[in-house]
Amino acid sequence: MSPGLPYVVIRSHALIADLLTPEQIRVLAEAKSVEAFIERLSETPYGSVSVEADGDVSIALEKVFYRKFIERMARVVDIAPRNISDFLQTYYYMRFEVLNLKRILRGKFSGIPASQIVDSLIPIEPYLVEDFRALAEAETLEETVERLEGTAYSALSASIELCKQYDACWPLELGLNHIYAATILRSMGRLHHQDRILVRRIVEFETDVENFLIAVKQRRTENASEIQNLEDLFPTTYGIRLDKIREVFGAGFDEARDVMRIIESLGPPYSEVLAPLYEGDVALIRTRVRRHIYRTARLGRLANDFGFNVIMAYLVFCEMEKDDLVGIAWGKAQGVPSEDILKYLVCLTPLDLLD
Amino acid sequence: MSSLMGVRPTKGYLMDLKRRIGFIERGCEFLKLKRDHLAKELTASLEVLRGRRKLLLENLREAYRALTAAYISLGPTEVKSQARSIRRSLELEVLPRSVMGVRYPYVKILRKPRIEGELDITLSHAAEKVLSILEELIQLAEFEARAERIADELGKTNRKVNALENTIIPSYRRVIKFIQDKLDEESLEELVRMKLIGGALARRRA
Repeated sequence: MSPGLPYVVIRSHALIADLLTPEQIRVLAEAKSVEAFIERLSETPYGSVSVEADGDVSIALEKVFYRKFIERMARVVDIAPRNISDFLQTYYYMRFEVLNLKRILRGKFSGIPASQIVDSLIPIEPYLVEDFRALAEAETLEETVERLEGTAYSALSASIELCKQYDACWPLELGLNHIYAATILRSMGRLHHQDRILVRRIVEFETDVENFLIAVKQRRTENASEIQNLEDLFPTTYGIRLDKIREVFGAGFDEARDVMRIIESLGPPYSEVLAPLYEGDVALIRTRVRRHIYRTARLGRLANDFGFNVIMAYLVFCEMEKDDLVGIAWGKAQGVPSEDILKYLVCLTPLDLLD
Repeated sequence: MSSLMGVRPTKGYLMDLKRRIGFIERGCEFLKLKRDHLAKELTASLEVLRGRRKLLLENLREAYRALTAAYISLGPTEVKSQARSIRRSLELEVLPRSVMGVRYPYVKILRKPRIEGELDITLSHAAEKVLSILEELIQLAEFEARAERIADELGKTNRKVNALENTIIPSYRRVIKFIQDKLDEESLEELVRMKLIGGALARRRA
Protein backbone atom coordinates (compact mmCIF):
# COMPACT_ATOMS: atom_id res chain seq x y z
CA MET A 1 0.00 0.00 0.00
CA SER A 2 1.56 3.28 -1.09
CA PRO A 3 1.60 6.12 1.42
CA GLY A 4 0.56 8.40 -1.49
CA LEU A 5 2.18 10.69 -4.02
CA PRO A 6 2.92 13.60 -1.64
CA TYR A 7 4.92 11.29 0.62
CA VAL A 8 6.96 9.89 -2.29
CA VAL A 9 7.60 13.38 -3.61
CA ILE A 10 8.79 14.65 -0.23
CA ARG A 11 10.89 11.51 0.18
CA SER A 12 12.41 12.07 -3.26
CA HIS A 13 13.29 15.65 -2.33
CA ALA A 14 15.04 14.31 0.75
CA LEU A 15 16.79 11.59 -1.23
CA ILE A 16 18.02 14.11 -3.82
CA ALA A 17 19.73 15.92 -0.97
CA ASP A 18 21.50 12.63 -0.14
CA LEU A 19 23.08 12.35 -3.59
CA LEU A 20 26.74 13.21 -4.03
CA THR A 21 27.40 16.91 -4.55
CA PRO A 22 29.49 18.10 -7.54
CA GLU A 23 32.26 18.87 -5.07
CA GLN A 24 32.18 15.31 -3.71
CA ILE A 25 32.28 13.90 -7.25
CA ARG A 26 35.27 16.11 -8.02
CA VAL A 27 37.06 15.00 -4.85
CA LEU A 28 36.46 11.36 -5.82
CA ALA A 29 37.67 11.96 -9.39
CA GLU A 30 40.82 13.62 -8.06
CA ALA A 31 41.74 10.67 -5.82
CA LYS A 32 45.32 9.56 -6.42
CA SER A 33 44.53 5.87 -6.76
CA VAL A 34 41.65 3.43 -6.71
CA GLU A 35 42.42 2.72 -3.03
CA ALA A 36 42.18 6.44 -2.25
CA PHE A 37 38.94 6.54 -4.26
CA ILE A 38 37.44 3.71 -2.17
CA GLU A 39 38.60 5.44 1.00
CA ARG A 40 37.03 8.75 -0.04
CA LEU A 41 33.88 6.90 -1.10
CA SER A 42 33.56 5.52 2.43
CA GLU A 43 33.07 9.10 3.66
CA THR A 44 29.96 9.45 1.45
CA PRO A 45 26.50 7.82 1.76
CA TYR A 46 27.96 4.83 -0.13
CA GLY A 47 29.89 3.89 3.00
CA SER A 48 32.76 1.40 2.98
CA VAL A 49 32.92 -0.79 -0.09
CA SER A 50 34.77 -4.08 -0.10
CA VAL A 51 36.08 -5.53 -3.34
CA GLU A 52 37.89 -8.78 -3.95
CA ALA A 53 41.62 -8.26 -4.13
CA ASP A 54 42.24 -10.81 -6.88
CA GLY A 55 39.54 -9.69 -9.34
CA ASP A 56 39.13 -6.63 -11.55
CA VAL A 57 38.52 -3.79 -9.08
CA SER A 58 36.76 -1.55 -11.58
CA ILE A 59 34.28 -4.28 -12.56
CA ALA A 60 33.63 -5.13 -8.90
CA LEU A 61 33.00 -1.44 -8.18
CA GLU A 62 30.75 -1.16 -11.24
CA LYS A 63 28.60 -3.96 -9.81
CA VAL A 64 28.50 -2.16 -6.43
CA PHE A 65 27.28 1.05 -8.08
CA TYR A 66 24.67 -0.80 -10.13
CA ARG A 67 23.40 -2.55 -7.01
CA LYS A 68 23.21 0.75 -5.16
CA PHE A 69 21.24 2.30 -8.01
CA ILE A 70 18.84 -0.66 -8.21
CA GLU A 71 18.39 -0.49 -4.43
CA ARG A 72 17.57 3.24 -4.61
CA MET A 73 15.17 2.65 -7.49
CA ALA A 74 13.46 -0.25 -5.71
CA ARG A 75 13.01 1.91 -2.62
CA VAL A 76 11.13 4.52 -4.66
CA VAL A 77 9.16 1.90 -6.60
CA ASP A 78 8.06 0.29 -3.32
CA ILE A 79 6.49 3.44 -1.93
CA ALA A 80 5.20 5.02 -5.16
CA PRO A 81 1.50 4.95 -6.09
CA ARG A 82 0.59 1.97 -8.28
CA ASN A 83 0.49 3.80 -11.64
CA ILE A 84 3.90 5.45 -11.06
CA SER A 85 5.38 2.31 -9.58
CA ASP A 86 4.31 0.24 -12.62
CA PHE A 87 5.74 2.79 -14.98
CA LEU A 88 9.06 3.12 -13.14
CA GLN A 89 9.46 -0.65 -13.03
CA THR A 90 8.95 -0.85 -16.76
CA TYR A 91 11.23 2.13 -17.38
CA TYR A 92 14.18 0.98 -15.31
CA TYR A 93 13.90 -2.79 -15.04
CA MET A 94 13.24 -3.08 -18.75
CA ARG A 95 16.11 -0.67 -19.47
CA PHE A 96 18.56 -2.94 -17.64
CA GLU A 97 16.93 -6.04 -19.03
CA VAL A 98 17.43 -4.68 -22.55
CA LEU A 99 21.09 -4.02 -21.72
CA ASN A 100 21.45 -7.60 -20.49
CA LEU A 101 19.65 -8.96 -23.56
CA LYS A 102 22.03 -7.01 -25.81
CA ARG A 103 24.98 -8.57 -23.98
CA ILE A 104 23.48 -12.04 -24.33
CA LEU A 105 22.75 -11.56 -28.04
CA ARG A 106 26.25 -10.21 -28.68
CA GLY A 107 27.72 -13.16 -26.81
CA LYS A 108 25.66 -15.65 -28.79
CA PHE A 109 26.49 -13.88 -32.05
CA SER A 110 30.23 -14.14 -31.45
CA GLY A 111 29.95 -17.59 -29.83
CA ILE A 112 31.51 -16.89 -26.46
CA PRO A 113 30.86 -19.35 -23.58
CA ALA A 114 27.59 -18.94 -21.65
CA SER A 115 29.48 -18.52 -18.35
CA GLN A 116 31.30 -15.47 -19.72
CA ILE A 117 28.02 -14.01 -20.97
CA VAL A 118 26.36 -14.51 -17.57
CA ASP A 119 29.35 -12.87 -15.83
CA SER A 120 28.91 -9.74 -17.92
CA LEU A 121 25.25 -9.22 -16.97
CA ILE A 122 23.95 -6.45 -14.76
CA PRO A 123 22.97 -8.00 -11.41
CA ILE A 124 19.16 -7.70 -11.70
CA GLU A 125 16.33 -10.20 -11.60
CA PRO A 126 14.72 -10.84 -14.99
CA TYR A 127 11.75 -8.56 -15.56
CA LEU A 128 9.89 -9.60 -18.72
CA VAL A 129 11.95 -12.66 -19.61
CA GLU A 130 12.08 -15.80 -17.53
CA ASP A 131 15.75 -16.51 -17.09
CA PHE A 132 18.86 -14.81 -18.40
CA ARG A 133 20.98 -17.94 -17.93
CA ALA A 134 18.61 -20.03 -20.05
CA LEU A 135 18.91 -17.46 -22.84
CA ALA A 136 22.69 -17.40 -22.56
CA GLU A 137 22.82 -21.20 -22.64
CA ALA A 138 20.88 -21.50 -25.92
CA GLU A 139 22.85 -23.29 -28.63
CA THR A 140 22.59 -20.54 -31.25
CA LEU A 141 21.62 -16.93 -31.65
CA GLU A 142 18.43 -18.00 -33.45
CA GLU A 143 17.53 -20.24 -30.52
CA THR A 144 18.02 -17.36 -28.07
CA VAL A 145 15.66 -15.20 -30.15
CA GLU A 146 13.19 -18.11 -30.36
CA ARG A 147 13.23 -18.38 -26.57
CA LEU A 148 12.08 -14.75 -26.43
CA GLU A 149 8.85 -15.70 -28.22
CA GLY A 150 5.85 -15.02 -26.05
CA THR A 151 7.59 -12.16 -24.20
CA ALA A 152 7.55 -8.43 -24.92
CA TYR A 153 10.59 -9.05 -27.11
CA SER A 154 8.94 -11.46 -29.57
CA ALA A 155 9.12 -8.78 -32.29
CA LEU A 156 12.87 -9.41 -32.34
CA SER A 157 12.30 -12.44 -34.56
CA ALA A 158 11.72 -9.97 -37.42
CA SER A 159 15.23 -8.57 -36.92
CA ILE A 160 16.94 -11.97 -37.04
CA GLU A 161 16.58 -12.02 -40.83
CA LEU A 162 18.27 -8.63 -41.09
CA CYS A 163 20.91 -9.93 -38.73
CA LYS A 164 21.63 -12.83 -41.10
CA GLN A 165 21.42 -10.61 -44.17
CA TYR A 166 24.10 -8.19 -42.88
CA ASP A 167 25.99 -10.84 -40.91
CA ALA A 168 25.89 -8.51 -37.92
CA CYS A 169 24.30 -8.22 -34.51
CA TRP A 170 23.33 -4.55 -34.67
CA PRO A 171 19.85 -5.09 -36.26
CA LEU A 172 18.90 -7.04 -33.13
CA GLU A 173 20.25 -4.31 -30.85
CA LEU A 174 18.39 -1.70 -32.86
CA GLY A 175 15.24 -3.85 -32.62
CA LEU A 176 15.63 -3.96 -28.82
CA ASN A 177 15.99 -0.15 -28.68
CA HIS A 178 12.73 0.25 -30.57
CA ILE A 179 10.88 -2.34 -28.48
CA TYR A 180 12.07 -0.53 -25.36
CA ALA A 181 11.05 2.92 -26.61
CA ALA A 182 7.64 1.68 -27.81
CA THR A 183 6.95 -0.17 -24.52
CA ILE A 184 7.91 2.85 -22.41
CA LEU A 185 5.80 5.22 -24.47
CA ARG A 186 2.89 2.76 -24.21
CA SER A 187 3.30 2.29 -20.47
CA MET A 188 3.20 6.07 -20.02
CA GLY A 189 -0.56 5.73 -20.47
CA ARG A 190 -0.73 4.97 -16.75
CA LEU A 191 0.76 8.36 -15.91
CA HIS A 192 -1.03 11.68 -15.64
CA HIS A 193 -0.76 13.46 -18.99
CA GLN A 194 1.30 16.30 -17.44
CA ASP A 195 3.79 13.74 -16.13
CA ARG A 196 4.27 12.14 -19.51
CA ILE A 197 6.01 15.17 -21.00
CA LEU A 198 9.30 14.62 -19.17
CA VAL A 199 9.46 10.89 -19.90
CA ARG A 200 8.51 11.43 -23.53
CA ARG A 201 11.27 14.04 -23.91
CA ILE A 202 13.89 11.71 -22.47
CA VAL A 203 12.87 8.53 -24.31
CA GLU A 204 12.36 10.20 -27.66
CA PHE A 205 15.62 12.07 -27.40
CA GLU A 206 17.55 8.89 -26.53
CA THR A 207 15.92 6.96 -29.40
CA ASP A 208 16.64 9.74 -31.89
CA VAL A 209 20.29 9.97 -30.93
CA GLU A 210 20.72 6.17 -31.06
CA ASN A 211 19.07 6.06 -34.50
CA PHE A 212 21.34 8.78 -35.81
CA LEU A 213 24.49 7.20 -34.38
CA ILE A 214 23.60 3.81 -35.85
CA ALA A 215 23.00 5.45 -39.22
CA VAL A 216 26.40 7.19 -39.08
CA LYS A 217 28.11 3.91 -38.16
CA GLN A 218 26.30 1.83 -40.74
CA ARG A 219 26.99 4.12 -43.66
CA ARG A 220 30.68 3.31 -43.23
CA THR A 221 30.19 -0.44 -43.52
CA GLU A 222 30.85 -2.47 -46.66
CA ASN A 223 27.18 -3.31 -47.06
CA ALA A 224 25.87 0.23 -46.48
CA SER A 225 24.73 0.43 -50.11
CA GLU A 226 22.64 -2.73 -49.62
CA ILE A 227 20.65 -1.15 -46.81
CA GLN A 228 17.44 -0.14 -48.52
CA ASN A 229 14.66 -0.91 -46.08
CA LEU A 230 15.29 1.93 -43.65
CA GLU A 231 11.65 1.84 -42.53
CA ASP A 232 12.21 -1.69 -41.19
CA LEU A 233 15.44 -0.79 -39.50
CA PHE A 234 14.21 2.47 -38.01
CA PRO A 235 10.50 1.88 -37.36
CA THR A 236 10.37 4.56 -34.67
CA THR A 237 11.71 8.07 -35.21
CA TYR A 238 10.81 11.28 -33.39
CA GLY A 239 12.77 14.53 -33.53
CA ILE A 240 15.22 13.16 -36.12
CA ARG A 241 12.96 12.03 -38.94
CA LEU A 242 13.61 9.16 -41.29
CA ASP A 243 14.49 11.54 -44.15
CA LYS A 244 17.43 12.83 -42.08
CA ILE A 245 18.55 9.23 -41.46
CA ARG A 246 18.24 8.64 -45.20
CA GLU A 247 20.39 11.71 -45.79
CA VAL A 248 23.08 10.24 -43.55
CA PHE A 249 23.10 7.02 -45.59
CA GLY A 250 23.29 9.07 -48.78
CA ALA A 251 26.12 11.34 -47.55
CA GLY A 252 29.02 11.71 -49.99
CA PHE A 253 32.63 10.71 -49.68
CA ASP A 254 33.52 13.80 -47.69
CA GLU A 255 31.80 12.28 -44.72
CA ALA A 256 32.90 14.76 -42.05
CA ARG A 257 31.61 17.76 -44.03
CA ASP A 258 28.37 16.06 -45.10
CA VAL A 259 27.61 14.75 -41.62
CA MET A 260 28.41 18.17 -40.17
CA ARG A 261 25.91 19.76 -42.56
CA ILE A 262 23.20 17.23 -41.61
CA ILE A 263 23.90 17.61 -37.87
CA GLU A 264 23.75 21.39 -38.09
CA SER A 265 20.43 21.15 -39.92
CA LEU A 266 18.95 19.15 -37.01
CA GLY A 267 19.03 22.19 -34.72
CA PRO A 268 19.31 22.11 -30.93
CA PRO A 269 19.58 20.00 -28.86
CA TYR A 270 20.72 17.43 -31.48
CA SER A 271 23.20 19.72 -33.23
CA GLU A 272 24.93 20.45 -29.93
CA VAL A 273 24.90 16.86 -28.66
CA LEU A 274 26.08 15.29 -31.93
CA ALA A 275 28.70 17.95 -32.74
CA PRO A 276 31.61 15.80 -31.37
CA LEU A 277 31.03 13.52 -34.39
CA TYR A 278 32.85 16.04 -36.56
CA GLU A 279 34.73 17.86 -33.81
CA GLY A 280 36.79 14.76 -32.96
CA ASP A 281 36.19 13.60 -29.37
CA VAL A 282 33.34 11.19 -30.14
CA ALA A 283 33.09 9.98 -26.51
CA LEU A 284 31.74 13.42 -25.61
CA ILE A 285 28.49 12.51 -27.42
CA ARG A 286 27.57 10.09 -24.63
CA THR A 287 28.49 12.71 -22.02
CA ARG A 288 26.41 15.34 -23.80
CA VAL A 289 23.45 12.95 -24.16
CA ARG A 290 23.55 12.23 -20.44
CA ARG A 291 24.07 15.90 -19.64
CA HIS A 292 21.02 16.78 -21.76
CA ILE A 293 18.89 14.18 -19.97
CA TYR A 294 20.20 15.47 -16.64
CA ARG A 295 19.23 19.01 -17.62
CA THR A 296 15.82 17.85 -18.92
CA ALA A 297 15.11 16.11 -15.62
CA ARG A 298 16.22 19.21 -13.73
CA LEU A 299 13.93 21.43 -15.83
CA GLY A 300 11.07 18.93 -15.41
CA ARG A 301 11.55 19.12 -11.67
CA LEU A 302 11.49 22.93 -11.78
CA ALA A 303 8.29 22.87 -13.82
CA ASN A 304 6.55 20.66 -11.26
CA ASP A 305 8.34 20.51 -7.94
CA PHE A 306 5.48 18.66 -6.21
CA GLY A 307 4.69 15.77 -8.51
CA PHE A 308 6.01 12.83 -10.53
CA ASN A 309 8.81 14.92 -12.09
CA VAL A 310 10.62 15.04 -8.75
CA ILE A 311 10.60 11.24 -8.52
CA MET A 312 11.78 10.93 -12.11
CA ALA A 313 14.46 13.60 -11.57
CA TYR A 314 15.74 11.75 -8.50
CA LEU A 315 16.09 8.51 -10.43
CA VAL A 316 17.73 10.26 -13.40
CA PHE A 317 20.22 11.95 -11.05
CA CYS A 318 20.89 8.60 -9.38
CA GLU A 319 21.59 6.99 -12.73
CA MET A 320 23.94 9.79 -13.78
CA GLU A 321 25.76 9.51 -10.46
CA LYS A 322 26.13 5.77 -10.98
CA ASP A 323 27.51 6.28 -14.51
CA ASP A 324 29.96 8.92 -13.29
CA LEU A 325 31.17 6.71 -10.45
CA VAL A 326 31.63 3.75 -12.81
CA GLY A 327 33.77 5.96 -15.08
CA ILE A 328 35.80 7.36 -12.20
CA ALA A 329 36.39 3.88 -10.71
CA TRP A 330 37.69 2.55 -14.01
CA GLY A 331 39.84 5.64 -14.56
CA LYS A 332 41.34 5.38 -11.09
CA ALA A 333 42.01 1.65 -11.48
CA GLN A 334 43.87 2.40 -14.71
CA GLY A 335 45.72 5.45 -13.40
CA VAL A 336 44.06 7.84 -15.84
CA PRO A 337 44.82 11.50 -14.97
CA SER A 338 41.94 13.29 -13.24
CA GLU A 339 41.57 15.94 -15.97
CA ASP A 340 40.95 13.18 -18.54
CA ILE A 341 38.18 11.75 -16.34
CA LEU A 342 36.56 15.03 -15.35
CA LYS A 343 35.60 16.08 -18.87
CA TYR A 344 33.38 12.99 -19.32
CA LEU A 345 31.48 13.42 -16.06
CA VAL A 346 27.95 14.78 -15.85
CA CYS A 347 27.28 15.43 -12.19
CA LEU A 348 30.04 18.03 -11.88
CA THR A 349 27.80 20.93 -12.76
CA PRO A 350 25.82 22.25 -9.79
CA LEU A 351 22.09 21.75 -10.41
CA ASP A 352 21.28 25.45 -10.22
CA LEU A 353 23.76 26.21 -13.02
CA LEU A 354 22.00 23.87 -15.44
CA ASP A 355 18.90 26.00 -15.79
CA MET B 1 104.00 -23.29 -20.61
CA SER B 2 101.00 -25.49 -20.20
CA SER B 3 99.69 -24.96 -23.76
CA LEU B 4 102.85 -26.60 -25.07
CA MET B 5 102.52 -29.72 -22.95
CA GLY B 6 101.92 -32.80 -25.04
CA VAL B 7 102.82 -31.02 -28.29
CA ARG B 8 104.46 -33.32 -30.81
CA PRO B 9 107.33 -31.35 -32.38
CA THR B 10 107.09 -33.08 -35.76
CA LYS B 11 107.02 -31.67 -39.25
CA GLY B 12 103.68 -33.37 -39.96
CA TYR B 13 102.12 -31.77 -36.90
CA LEU B 14 103.62 -28.38 -37.85
CA MET B 15 102.11 -28.63 -41.31
CA ASP B 16 98.78 -29.62 -39.80
CA LEU B 17 98.91 -26.66 -37.40
CA LYS B 18 99.80 -24.25 -40.22
CA ARG B 19 96.85 -25.51 -42.24
CA ARG B 20 94.57 -25.10 -39.21
CA ILE B 21 95.77 -21.59 -38.39
CA GLY B 22 95.25 -20.58 -42.01
CA PHE B 23 91.70 -21.85 -41.77
CA ILE B 24 91.11 -20.09 -38.43
CA GLU B 25 92.50 -16.80 -39.76
CA ARG B 26 90.23 -17.01 -42.78
CA GLY B 27 87.27 -17.76 -40.48
CA CYS B 28 88.25 -14.82 -38.31
CA GLU B 29 88.29 -12.55 -41.37
CA PHE B 30 84.79 -13.75 -42.27
CA LEU B 31 83.58 -13.18 -38.74
CA LYS B 32 85.02 -9.66 -38.85
CA LEU B 33 83.15 -9.05 -42.08
CA LYS B 34 79.96 -10.40 -40.47
CA ARG B 35 80.52 -8.23 -37.42
CA ASP B 36 80.95 -5.11 -39.52
CA HIS B 37 77.87 -5.92 -41.56
CA LEU B 38 75.76 -6.62 -38.45
CA ALA B 39 77.00 -3.39 -36.84
CA LYS B 40 75.97 -1.49 -39.97
CA GLU B 41 72.55 -3.20 -39.97
CA LEU B 42 72.07 -2.47 -36.28
CA THR B 43 72.94 1.22 -36.64
CA ALA B 44 70.50 1.56 -39.54
CA SER B 45 67.79 -0.38 -37.65
CA LEU B 46 68.19 1.74 -34.54
CA GLU B 47 67.84 4.94 -36.53
CA VAL B 48 64.65 3.67 -38.20
CA LEU B 49 63.36 2.39 -34.86
CA ARG B 50 63.88 5.73 -33.17
CA GLY B 51 61.94 7.56 -35.91
CA ARG B 52 59.11 5.04 -36.09
CA ARG B 53 58.76 4.77 -32.35
CA LYS B 54 58.41 8.53 -31.97
CA LEU B 55 55.69 8.64 -34.63
CA LEU B 56 53.90 5.62 -33.26
CA LEU B 57 53.98 6.88 -29.68
CA GLU B 58 51.98 9.95 -30.67
CA ASN B 59 49.39 7.81 -32.50
CA LEU B 60 49.30 5.35 -29.61
CA ARG B 61 48.68 8.18 -27.17
CA GLU B 62 45.74 9.30 -29.29
CA ALA B 63 44.32 5.75 -29.53
CA TYR B 64 44.75 5.27 -25.80
CA ARG B 65 42.95 8.56 -25.12
CA ALA B 66 40.02 7.42 -27.32
CA LEU B 67 39.91 4.03 -25.59
CA THR B 68 40.03 5.62 -22.14
CA ALA B 69 37.16 7.91 -23.12
CA ALA B 70 35.14 4.90 -24.34
CA TYR B 71 35.72 3.05 -21.06
CA ILE B 72 34.77 6.08 -18.96
CA SER B 73 31.63 6.74 -21.05
CA LEU B 74 30.37 3.16 -21.36
CA GLY B 75 31.80 1.40 -18.33
CA PRO B 76 34.21 -1.56 -18.38
CA THR B 77 31.62 -4.37 -18.59
CA GLU B 78 29.81 -2.83 -21.54
CA VAL B 79 33.11 -2.24 -23.36
CA LYS B 80 34.14 -5.85 -22.78
CA SER B 81 30.75 -7.14 -23.90
CA GLN B 82 30.88 -5.08 -27.10
CA ALA B 83 34.48 -6.00 -27.79
CA ARG B 84 33.57 -9.68 -27.53
CA SER B 85 30.86 -9.24 -30.16
CA ILE B 86 33.51 -8.86 -32.86
CA ARG B 87 33.36 -12.14 -34.66
CA ARG B 88 36.12 -11.61 -37.16
CA SER B 89 39.21 -11.21 -35.07
CA LEU B 90 42.79 -10.38 -35.95
CA GLU B 91 44.66 -13.24 -37.60
CA LEU B 92 48.42 -13.23 -37.93
CA GLU B 93 51.05 -15.57 -39.29
CA VAL B 94 54.56 -15.44 -37.90
CA LEU B 95 57.20 -16.50 -40.43
CA PRO B 96 60.99 -16.70 -40.03
CA ARG B 97 63.29 -14.35 -41.97
CA SER B 98 67.05 -14.05 -41.84
CA VAL B 99 69.77 -11.44 -42.24
CA MET B 100 73.40 -12.69 -42.21
CA GLY B 101 72.15 -15.94 -40.73
CA VAL B 102 70.28 -14.14 -37.94
CA ARG B 103 66.69 -15.38 -37.82
CA TYR B 104 63.97 -12.96 -36.79
CA PRO B 105 60.16 -13.18 -36.89
CA TYR B 106 58.24 -11.63 -39.77
CA VAL B 107 54.57 -11.03 -39.00
CA LYS B 108 52.05 -11.26 -41.80
CA ILE B 109 48.53 -9.91 -41.20
CA LEU B 110 46.10 -12.43 -42.67
CA ARG B 111 42.86 -10.81 -41.55
CA LYS B 112 41.95 -7.63 -39.75
CA PRO B 113 38.98 -7.50 -37.37
CA ARG B 114 35.73 -6.10 -38.78
CA ILE B 115 34.68 -3.51 -36.26
CA GLU B 116 32.35 -1.30 -38.25
CA GLY B 117 28.71 -1.56 -37.31
CA GLU B 118 29.08 -3.76 -34.25
CA LEU B 119 30.41 -1.33 -31.67
CA ASP B 120 29.04 1.74 -30.00
CA ILE B 121 30.22 4.84 -31.85
CA THR B 122 32.56 5.79 -28.97
CA LEU B 123 34.19 2.39 -28.91
CA SER B 124 34.15 2.14 -32.68
CA HIS B 125 36.10 5.42 -32.86
CA ALA B 126 38.69 4.07 -30.41
CA ALA B 127 38.89 0.74 -32.24
CA GLU B 128 39.42 2.51 -35.58
CA LYS B 129 42.32 4.43 -34.09
CA VAL B 130 43.88 1.25 -32.73
CA LEU B 131 43.35 -0.57 -36.02
CA SER B 132 44.88 2.28 -38.02
CA ILE B 133 48.16 1.85 -36.14
CA LEU B 134 47.98 -1.91 -35.81
CA GLU B 135 50.06 -2.60 -38.91
CA GLU B 136 52.61 -0.02 -37.83
CA LEU B 137 52.65 -1.46 -34.33
CA ILE B 138 53.26 -4.98 -35.62
CA GLN B 139 56.00 -3.74 -37.97
CA LEU B 140 57.66 -1.93 -35.10
CA ALA B 141 57.52 -5.05 -32.93
CA GLU B 142 59.05 -7.01 -35.81
CA PHE B 143 61.76 -4.37 -36.23
CA GLU B 144 62.49 -4.38 -32.51
CA ALA B 145 62.81 -8.15 -32.47
CA ARG B 146 65.10 -7.91 -35.51
CA ALA B 147 67.31 -5.23 -33.90
CA GLU B 148 67.42 -7.19 -30.66
CA ARG B 149 68.50 -10.38 -32.38
CA ILE B 150 71.05 -8.57 -34.55
CA ALA B 151 72.49 -6.93 -31.41
CA ASP B 152 72.59 -10.32 -29.73
CA GLU B 153 74.35 -11.89 -32.70
CA LEU B 154 76.72 -8.93 -32.96
CA GLY B 155 77.72 -9.48 -29.35
CA LYS B 156 78.31 -13.19 -29.98
CA THR B 157 80.32 -12.53 -33.17
CA ASN B 158 82.39 -9.91 -31.41
CA ARG B 159 83.19 -12.31 -28.61
CA LYS B 160 84.18 -14.98 -31.15
CA VAL B 161 86.45 -12.55 -33.06
CA ASN B 162 88.08 -11.41 -29.82
CA ALA B 163 88.58 -14.97 -28.67
CA LEU B 164 90.15 -15.91 -32.00
CA GLU B 165 92.33 -12.80 -32.25
CA ASN B 166 93.46 -12.62 -28.66
CA THR B 167 93.55 -16.22 -27.48
CA ILE B 168 93.26 -18.95 -30.09
CA ILE B 169 95.41 -17.54 -32.91
CA PRO B 170 98.25 -16.37 -30.56
CA SER B 171 98.27 -19.76 -28.83
CA TYR B 172 98.51 -21.52 -32.21
CA ARG B 173 101.35 -19.16 -33.18
CA ARG B 174 103.15 -19.95 -29.94
CA VAL B 175 102.84 -23.69 -30.60
CA ILE B 176 104.01 -23.26 -34.20
CA LYS B 177 106.96 -21.17 -33.05
CA PHE B 178 107.79 -23.74 -30.40
CA ILE B 179 107.70 -26.60 -32.94
CA GLN B 180 109.68 -24.58 -35.48
CA ASP B 181 112.33 -23.77 -32.86
CA LYS B 182 112.37 -27.39 -31.82
CA LEU B 183 112.74 -28.59 -35.42
CA ASP B 184 115.46 -26.00 -36.14
CA GLU B 185 117.32 -27.11 -33.05
CA GLU B 186 116.96 -30.74 -34.08
CA SER B 187 118.18 -30.04 -37.63
CA LEU B 188 121.15 -28.07 -36.24
CA GLU B 189 121.99 -30.97 -33.96
CA GLU B 190 121.64 -33.27 -36.94
CA LEU B 191 123.96 -31.10 -39.01
CA VAL B 192 126.58 -30.98 -36.27
CA ARG B 193 126.31 -34.73 -35.83
CA MET B 194 126.67 -35.25 -39.58
CA LYS B 195 129.70 -32.94 -39.64
CA LEU B 196 131.30 -34.78 -36.73
CA ILE B 197 130.62 -38.16 -38.34
CA GLY B 198 131.88 -36.90 -41.68
CA GLY B 199 135.08 -35.56 -40.00
CA ALA B 200 135.64 -38.88 -38.17
CA LEU B 201 135.18 -40.88 -41.38
CA ALA B 202 137.63 -38.62 -43.26
CA ARG B 203 140.20 -38.99 -40.48
CA ARG B 204 139.85 -42.80 -40.56
CA ARG B 205 140.30 -42.87 -44.36
CA ALA B 206 143.37 -40.72 -44.06
